[in-house]
Amino acid sequence: MFDRLPLPSQFDRVIVAGGTVAAIVATPVLVVLLALLFSDVISGPEFVFYLAAIVVVSGALGAVLMDNVVHAALCLVATLLGVAGIYLLLMTEFIALVQVLVYGGGVVILLLFALMMTNAAEDPIVTDGSQKPFGFLVAAIMGSLFVAALLDAQWGDPTANVVPFVDFGTRIFRDFSVPVIVVAVLLDIALTGAFINARRAEEAPRERAEAERAGEARS
Amino acid sequence: MIPIENFLVLSAILFAIGFYGVLARRNAILILMAVELMLAGVSINFIAFATYLDADAFSGLVFALFVIAVAAAEVGLALGVVLRLFRERRTANVDEADSLKW
Repeated sequence: MFDRLPLPSQFDRVIVAGGTVAAIVATPVLVVLLALLFSDVISGPEFVFYLAAIVVVSGALGAVLMDNVVHAALCLVATLLGVAGIYLLLMTEFIALVQVLVYGGGVVILLLFALMMTNAAEDPIVTDGSQKPFGFLVAAIMGSLFVAALLDAQWGDPTANVVPFVDFGTRIFRDFSVPVIVVAVLLDIALTGAFINARRAEEAPRERAEAERAGEARS
Repeated sequence: MIPIENFLVLSAILFAIGFYGVLARRNAILILMAVELMLAGVSINFIAFATYLDADAFSGLVFALFVIAVAAAEVGLALGVVLRLFRERRTANVDEADSLKW
């Protein structure tokens, strides 16, 4: 029976290596967070927030820095699921559900298909050295400016009002009906445009030739 | 209650990482993935403001929902363009698609 089970050497080496690194990195962080939680430095929701934030930030770094494009896409999945957890912490269950469905289910699958169809793994995917430090500099300056500005501001008292899940549909179709229609038209146009754009280029002249032939036969 | 600054700092970090990805990557699909990161940061900002500071607590949610819808449309359309580009030019790198440049 056991010879039918895959040996560890038959696992994807990247999965084993990545899992080992993640476990080595995650264990001390988890221990520190648990210690802070049990010594009442941080509360329960903050504990969950820091866990989700670690997942989000490390997944985002992986999605931006990894050389293997499929691994980058999988890191993007981790980030988006962590963002859904952040939405749950902000007590907006519907947005979290939509996030998991649309991003985890649709967008990432589309991205993976496109990555496979364009042979992206064979391309040099990371830019040359002249642009990378510049990009890092700009992004670091922008992020630190944002953080400094928002830590400096006064945000007032949190009200923590929450729209109940059952009221969501009523309110969005009663108070925001025009934007809903606009988004519907936008999605329709995008679908049509993607369909027309993705057709093979040689189909259009052939159809035109057939139409001309039909016109000649009729006349 | 988690302070609102936690969410805002997280969204700023996410936005900056996505911005770096947009600047540093060359493959169009990876640039799209970095744009998704930036959009996720913006959505966190919207929802944090809606939950913490808006007495009505609904406009931000609608914004976040529409950001998701527009991002899905954008990805579908842009991937069609990238596949078309790959079929015509055998590349998906944005700096090799320069026939409109001069």
